[in-house]
Amino acid sequence: MFDMMEYHKTLRECKITLVYSGPLWAEGIGGVASTVKKRLEYDDLPLETSQEVFSVFVEQMNNMLMYSAEKSQFVADEIHPEAPKGTFIMGVQGSKYFIQTGNVMEDKHVDFIRDRIDYLNTLDKKQLRAYYKQQRLENDIPDSKGAGLGFIEIARRVSSKLEYTFTPYEEGYTFFTLFATIEGDDHGI
Amino acid sequence: MAYKIERRKTDLTPYVYICEESGVMKLEGESYHENVFEFFREIKEWLAEYLKTDFDSFTFDCELVYFNSSTVKILLGMLLDMDNSKNCDKITVNWITTKNNRIIIECGEDFEEDLDNLTFNLITN
Repeated sequence: MFDMMEYHKTLRECKITLVYSGPLWAEGIGGVASTVKKRLEYDDLPLETSQEVFSVFVEQMNNMLMYSAEKSQFVADEIHPEAPKGTFIMGVQGSKYFIQTGNVMEDKHVDFIRDRIDYLNTLDKKQLRAYYKQQRLENDIPDSKGAGLGFIEIARRVSSKLEYTFTPYEEGYTFFTLFATIEGDDHGI
Repeated sequence: MAYKIERRKTDLTPYVYICEESGVMKLEGESYHENVFEFFREIKEWLAEYLKTDFDSFTFDCELVYFNSSTVKILLGMLLDMDNSKNCDKITVNWITTKNNRIIIECGEDFEEDLDNLTFNLITN
């Protein structure tokens, strides 16, 4: 039997308040999104902070949806006979929110995503806004799967640099983790 | 027959109201469906045709509270179509939000800078 108590304790110790792992499809994400929203409402944050957290959540979920190479046999709907899989956690530590996602991706996407995040991490908020403005006029980079703007949006909303890891998975695949933090106000929890 | 649609808002998609006869288009709520392009396809197609016609006035009230980055591309596409149309001087865009919605305000400011011909009002209540 799975050690639920250990899991429970780990979540507490790591200040994780929400976990989702499984198939990703629009309506399913909608359900998780409602839970995230409820949580943010409960924390009574200023609109700006809750929107920043929510926006990072939406774009990270969307990135996983686009890049995850692991498919679930779960039938989401007629248009999506199989849904990509991913894992998402949200946590609150003091006044700081963190969102971390993890998914399996094909090796071929690794360089593009790493370069993209490294570049965004060199820009300040003003530069990110200008870059976003420029990129929304561009057609999507061929291999970007339309995720170009999403990463910039995440970078605009976080309060520190984006952190990531790429860990070798099975042959031809890599496990990608993206970690983002958003500074809230002094409410804490 | 003049085009008219009204779509109820959902968690992921906005309220949409278009009445060609009165020259009005409205968006309200949130937009972050994974496949937002599909959601807006019909609206974009209608708009492209409508902009080729002669009309007295056209008002687009955009009162979205939150939208994802894919929606930004769609909105910009529609706004540029309006701005580059032959009747651009008869078009008014009202970008309506609340004072504390910095993300939406900044997005409106950035759109405004890219639009030269139509009337763009950034309204913060």
